[in-house]
Amino acid sequence: MTELTENGSVLAANIQRRIFMIKSTFSRRSVLGAGTGLALALALTACGGNVASNSAPSDGSKFPSGPVTLTIGAAPGGSTDLIGRALAENASSGLGAPIPVVNKPGANGALATKEVGGAKADGQTLVILNASLFAITPLAVSADEAVKIEDYEVITGISQDDYVLVTNASSGMKTMEQLTKAGKKFNFATTGVGTGSQLAQALLFKQAGIEGTDVPFDGGAPAMTALLGNQVDVATIQLAEAMPQIKAGKLNPVVVFSKERNQYLADTPTAIEAGYDVPVSQFRAVAAPKGTPEPVLEKLRAAFKAAFASDAYKAFNKQNLFTAAENDGAQVAKDWAADAAKFKELAQKYDVNLGGGK
Amino acid sequence: MDIFGPVLNGFGVVLEPTNLLYCLIGVVIGMLIGVLPGLGPAATIAILLPLTYGVEPVTAIIMLSGIFYGAQYGGTITSVLLRLPGEASSVVTVFDGYALARQGRAGTALGIAAIGSFFGGTVSIIGLTLLAPIVAGFALSFGPPEYTALAMLGILLVATVSNGSKIKSIIAASLGLLLATVGRDGFTGESRFTFGSLSLSDGLDFVPIAMGIFGLGEILYNLEERHNKVQAPAKVANVWPSRKDLKESSGAIGRGSLLGFFLGILPGGGATIASLAAYAMEKKRAKNPERFGRGAVEGVAAPESANNAAATSSFIPLLTLGIPANATMAIIFGALLIQGVTPGPQLVQDNPELFWGVVNSMYIGNILLLIMSIPLVGVFVKILRIRAAILAPITVLITLIGVYTINNSIFDIWLVIAFGVLGYLMKKFGFEPGPLVLAFVLGSLLEENLRRSLLLFGGDPAGFVTRPISGVLLLLFLLVILLPLLQKAVKKSRANRAQTTAPHTEKEKETV
Repeated sequence: MTELTENGSVLAANIQRRIFMIKSTFSRRSVLGAGTGLALALALTACGGNVASNSAPSDGSKFPSGPVTLTIGAAPGGSTDLIGRALAENASSGLGAPIPVVNKPGANGALATKEVGGAKADGQTLVILNASLFAITPLAVSADEAVKIEDYEVITGISQDDYVLVTNASSGMKTMEQLTKAGKKFNFATTGVGTGSQLAQALLFKQAGIEGTDVPFDGGAPAMTALLGNQVDVATIQLAEAMPQIKAGKLNPVVVFSKERNQYLADTPTAIEAGYDVPVSQFRAVAAPKGTPEPVLEKLRAAFKAAFASDAYKAFNKQNLFTAAENDGAQVAKDWAADAAKFKELAQKYDVNLGGGK
Repeated sequence: MDIFGPVLNGFGVVLEPTNLLYCLIGVVIGMLIGVLPGLGPAATIAILLPLTYGVEPVTAIIMLSGIFYGAQYGGTITSVLLRLPGEASSVVTVFDGYALARQGRAGTALGIAAIGSFFGGTVSIIGLTLLAPIVAGFALSFGPPEYTALAMLGILLVATVSNGSKIKSIIAASLGLLLATVGRDGFTGESRFTFGSLSLSDGLDFVPIAMGIFGLGEILYNLEERHNKVQAPAKVANVWPSRKDLKESSGAIGRGSLLGFFLGILPGGGATIASLAAYAMEKKRAKNPERFGRGAVEGVAAPESANNAAATSSFIPLLTLGIPANATMAIIFGALLIQGVTPGPQLVQDNPELFWGVVNSMYIGNILLLIMSIPLVGVFVKILRIRAAILAPITVLITLIGVYTINNSIFDIWLVIAFGVLGYLMKKFGFEPGPLVLAFVLGSLLEENLRRSLLLFGGDPAGFVTRPISGVLLLLFLLVILLPLLQKAVKKSRANRAQTTAPHTEKEKETV
């Protein structure tokens, strides 16, 4: 089973090839040929993955010994996927090997993260980590579903994706003060159970003494749609999703939940500035399985550093409103573990229950 | 006010040779991935995204949207020929499409589907051109309570579209609703029926279920049939839709297109409910509703027009409000950002060339698709001439690869096989798969939105009836339940009156 999974690793790269193959097959009038084309593509797929399975010496001299697969625990098109693809594209020349991206969505990324955690520690299989999976999701799900940052070799931090609390412009609410003085019960939309959006709002409302009902949606777009349609009173979503509406004057930004002000929304105060102890951002990092040899990690680190420095990658961050957080891997692991402890403590202190507390 | 200036400029943009070429590339790729079960437009667009970095924004989006609506055309082909619906919105096409194919009228089904798709798409683009800003608000006024009512109506329609015994349909639909509860609860984070498996924590996917129950189940069943009796080789006449077929389905195409246009604007589930409602409506209107499910041309025409119209109108929330209505729209949203264009409420004012360029490219794209699909119908129906001994394993192989590509997960392959066995057993014991699959899709829509609504209402269900749109939908729900009962009662009372002249006038008044 694991072998089969490994073989699939180059599938993404092959899909493109397959599309073109099928195209040419169809032009040959024979429809039966399409099936053969597919079978052929499958055969290609099956061969590809084995390149990496030679045993690697621990000095890393043989690394990379074939394509380095970057696993992403989210569906194509989301922020995590965009970041992974931008990184893969810009790091592959520095690494001297192609970096095919493989999406394995499931369980907020826990599925892919656990799978890579159990892969061979040779640096040929990497994964993009989301901080929320380690620091926030454990507050909502059972212990055996949670993942621990100690089980990975974090290569480097990538970037920070900030949450912003928004109201519908028609409500006229623009500041925390207005919200606390409104004297009403708020329905607040979150992007789902066990997300930063839920934790940040739950903590904020508890600290501000505002009565609120937590209404989980299936991601940022539905939550924002509900707010735009005045189905809910406030929402907390990722900045990149909210920005077009903020610029168009349809949504008012109230606070951002980052520790420092966000460079793309410099006029909006942080929750901390407004007087609330709610430092919640989505951080991302790239990691290898525990036990990957240091020389291999070093090569990977250098390749990603080069990618971070490229103009194309910098432009990508700017377009998608990500703030660079390219910290050293060891630091990232320490920070995330500290965040996990802090969130747990805050949740207990303010009696915030992300699961079942409805 | 110059309204038509920008529209005409948009045509100028589309007719540039580069844009025409990219439009053609987009629809061709779209159609091909539509034929492949599994690999959907969302994944394809994400993978091909880097190829568009070097071109103009409008060119890039023309190609990417071409992939999206092209896939809708392609999806029909596998639904009709192999009983493999690639998306929830083409499940109802399978009922009559596959029945027609088995009667040797696959050409008719595919031809009507192509014409219906073209018409539905075009009606929707005209709607997009003229009405986009007006109807966009529709997407916003649909909150959780409205989706709840819509999902309830949809589940009720599921019961009316199936042909077999009512009890068996209800059992199948209940099983579908039960399957929809698998996975991590989106409100409490509690795991339901996951048996400790992370692969199940996001719940079951539509594609493995549909592919298994419809496609694989049918193949397994046919293998058994073949052993039991000598089967006549399937007659495959290259029958084009006759004038009679076209006449019969013209009304269905028109009604399906309108329904699809309006429901398609709703993010999430709009297209599925549109195709289902279009089918149910035709069946209700038909003089001989028992033809449906046994190869009624309208049963293909209505849902196909509806789901293509819905695919096109799902661009409305993205282009006018900046809200991506489905996964594919979310990726196109990302593509626009990468191109330095912010998709939002101001897109039409800030980038009229892009907006109208993309909208108008859809007219051209739909014409290209129609031109391509008509001759291809002849090629595709030849698939049915292939001996089952060869076709069946190839179909299974394509299905398994397709399902694997969605999540790159071996687990999904096991799921298809498990549901294939279930589909086989259902067919053997006379259960229809349609109610199960549709109830599964609508079940999660219903549960999520019902719970969300109750949170919003603070637990008071009165909110459902006091909100205008959900109130009207619930009234419609009651009507769909009560009308057949009343009709039956009236018939009975007439019959009674003929014999005994008993006074049943009260009941008659109610129906007026």
